[in-house]
Amino acid sequence: MIPYILRRLVNLIPTFFLATLLAWIVIDLAPGDFASQFAINPLDPNAEARIRASLGLDQPMLVRYLYWLRNVITDFDFGFSLTSRNNVTNLILPRMENSLRLLLPATIITYLIAIPIGIYSALNKYSFGDRVLTVLSLFGLAIPNFFLALIFVAFSVQFFQQNGFFLIPTGGMTSQNYSQLSPGGQFLDSLWHLIAPMIVVALSSLAFITRIMRGEMLEVLGQDYIRTARAKGLARRSINYKHALRNAILVIVATLGGLLPGLIGGAGTVEYVMRWPGLTPLFLSSVFAQDVYVLMAILTILVVLLMIGNLLSDLALALIDPRIRY
Amino acid sequence: MADTVPVVPSGGAEPTDARVVRSESLSTIAWKQFRKHPMARVSLTVLGVLYLLAAFADFVAPYPERYIDPGATFQPPNRVRFWDEGRFVRPFFYPREQALDFETLETTWTEDRDNPVPLQFFARREGVRDRYFPFPVNLIPAQLRQTLGMRPWATLHLFGSSDPEVPFYLWGSDDLGGDVFGKILFGGRISLSVGIIAAVVAVFLGLLFGGLAGYFGGWVDEVIMRFVEALSAIPDLFLLFTLSAIFYPLNLPASTVFMLVVVVLAMIGWGGVARTVRGQVLSLRERDFAYAARSLGASNARIIRRHMLPHTLSFVIVYMSLTIPSFIITESVLSFFGLGIQPPSTSWGLMLSTAQNFVGVTGLGDRWWIFLPGLFIFIAVLTWNLLGDGLRDAFDPRSRQ
Repeated sequence: MIPYILRRLVNLIPTFFLATLLAWIVIDLAPGDFASQFAINPLDPNAEARIRASLGLDQPMLVRYLYWLRNVITDFDFGFSLTSRNNVTNLILPRMENSLRLLLPATIITYLIAIPIGIYSALNKYSFGDRVLTVLSLFGLAIPNFFLALIFVAFSVQFFQQNGFFLIPTGGMTSQNYSQLSPGGQFLDSLWHLIAPMIVVALSSLAFITRIMRGEMLEVLGQDYIRTARAKGLARRSINYKHALRNAILVIVATLGGLLPGLIGGAGTVEYVMRWPGLTPLFLSSVFAQDVYVLMAILTILVVLLMIGNLLSDLALALIDPRIRY
Repeated sequence: MADTVPVVPSGGAEPTDARVVRSESLSTIAWKQFRKHPMARVSLTVLGVLYLLAAFADFVAPYPERYIDPGATFQPPNRVRFWDEGRFVRPFFYPREQALDFETLETTWTEDRDNPVPLQFFARREGVRDRYFPFPVNLIPAQLRQTLGMRPWATLHLFGSSDPEVPFYLWGSDDLGGDVFGKILFGGRISLSVGIIAAVVAVFLGLLFGGLAGYFGGWVDEVIMRFVEALSAIPDLFLLFTLSAIFYPLNLPASTVFMLVVVVLAMIGWGGVARTVRGQVLSLRERDFAYAARSLGASNARIIRRHMLPHTLSFVIVYMSLTIPSFIITESVLSFFGLGIQPPSTSWGLMLSTAQNFVGVTGLGDRWWIFLPGLFIFIAVLTWNLLGDGLRDAFDPRSRQ
C-alpha cells in the first residue's frame, strides 16, 4: 500500500507543474494586462509603462511563472492582489471558508437524500414512485443551477414586495443588522441566510447522484451472484443491503474525490446569483480585472484539491474494495 | 419446426423466412431499438421544431434580430384575442400604454381597450433594416455575404401588428425594448448550434489525439496523456472562465466570438474523448484483424481510419448526444457571466443576464417574461438528454431489449 501511495504522489508532481504552467499561459494569453487600464491617463502618459514595470509585469512570461512558482514552493507565498494590494492568501482564505460553509452542508444533504432515493428507485424499478422520481431527476438535470437560483431570488423578492419581509433571504450571507445581533442571533442569522443557496446547490447535484446510484444499483442487482443469493433463499433485505448496496456504493466513493472542486464550480453560479461571497465571485471579478495572482492562487488550490481528492478516493476505493490491486 | 436452421438473434428482427439469416447493419439495429423509445421520439420531434424555429427565426419573429424600441421597455406581453363582445373575430390585440404613478414612481402598463389593432398574418415589413436573408442563405457567414455583395431582400413575416406605429410583443419586451419572443428564436440559433458544433470539434480532437496516443504509444502517448491529465486537473468552470478571458475584451465580430466559444467548449471536452478512445484503440491494436491488416501491408493511417475508428462510432454517437446538452448549459453559463456571446448578438444565457440584473428590483410577478429563455434552455437540454438516452440504448448492445 505505501509504495502505491508514494508512486501516486510522485506522479502528481509533473501534473501539478504542467497544470499550473498551462493555467499561467492561458491567463497570459488574454490581451493586455493589469496595467493596461492605466493606458489613457492625461496627467501621466507614462503611467501604464511605469505601473507595469513596478509590478514586474514587463518580464517575459516564463520568467514571471518561475518567480511565482519559486515563491509558492519555498515560502508558500501566492503573491498579492494587484487590485486590492492585499496578500492573496489573506484574500482567499475567508472566501474559501464561505464557499465551504455553503458546500459542505449542501453536499451532506445531497448524499443523505440522493442515496436512499436511488436505492428506492432501483428496488422498485418501473413502479409509480420510480417513474415520478425519474421524471423529476430528468427535470433536475435539465435546469441550469444559475436559472434555479434566479427563480428562487425572484420568488423571494416577490414575497418581500408583497409582505415587507423576507421568508428566506436570497442575497448575501448576513442581514444588514448582523453586527448588532447577539452571538446566538448572529449564528441563527447566518443559518437563515444559508437555507436558500444550500437548497439550490443541493437540488442541482441531487438529480445527478440519484441517477448514478439508481443505475449502479440496477447494474449490481442484475449480476449472477445476486441471483445465486436469491436462489439460496437469502432474505431479500440481506441481499439488497449486504450484497448489492455494498458494491453499488463503490461508484459513489469513486466520484467523491473529484467532488469538491467540481462542486466549488457548480455552486459558483449560485454564489454569483445569490451574492454569496465565495470563491467564484472573486474569481470572476479577478478575471475581469486581470488580477493574475488571485486567479493563479485559486486555480492552484483547486488543482491541488482535485489531485488529492482523486488520490484519496482511489485509496478509499482500494481499502473497501478487495478486488482492486495496487 | 424440425428442419429450421437456428436463427441468430439479430436485434429484435423477425425474419419472414426462418431459414434466411439476414445480418443487419448497425444503423438498422439502432433504428429499430430507437423506435422503442417513445420519449426519445417525442424529443426528436420537439428538437426538430426548435431547430426549425431557429432556422426560420427571421420569418417567424415579427421584428428583426437587432430591433429595439427604447420607448417600450419591459412591456408586458400583448394578449392575442379572438372574441370581441361575444363574437368570434379575426385575431387582434389591445395596444399597451404605460403610465407613471407619481406616488410610488412605478410604471404601470394598461391596455387601451378603445383601439383594438388586428394582427396581420404574412405581414411585410418593407424598411431597409427589416430585410433579412431567408433560411439556407443565412447560414453563410456575414463577412462572406458582404464580400459577395449580397443584400438582404426578404420582407415577409409570419405575423405582426397591422399598424406599424403600434408594437406587438407576443412575449413582452426586455430592458432595451427588444422583442423577447423574437430574441428567443434568434438566441436559439446560437444556443442550439453551439453545443452541436463544439461537440463535433471535441470529438474530432479527441479521436485524433486519443487515436494517436493509443496507436503509437511510447512518447507520443506520454506527451498527449500528460497534457490531457494536466488539462483535466483544472476544474472545468474555472478553465472556461480563464479561456474566455482571452477573447471577451477584444470586441470581435459576432461570428468570430461564436467560433471562439465553440473552441473554448471543445477545449474542456476533448480530453475525456481522447482518454476513452485511447483505451479502445489500445485494446483494438492487439486484436487479430489489426495484425492481419498490418501483415497485409496496410499503412498506419489506413489501419487507424478503416479498422480502429469505426469501432469507436457507437461511443462517439452516444457521447455527442449526451455532451451537446451539457455544452448548451455551459454556453448559457458563460454568456450569463458576460464571458460568452456578446451583445448585440444574443443567446439564451445572455438574455437571462438581463433577468439577473433586474431580479433584485422586481419579483417574478412583474416581469416574468424575461425568465422565458430559461424555459427554453430547460426544454432543449431535457429533450437532448432524452434523445441521448434513447441513442445510448440503441447503440449499446448491453441495454438492447
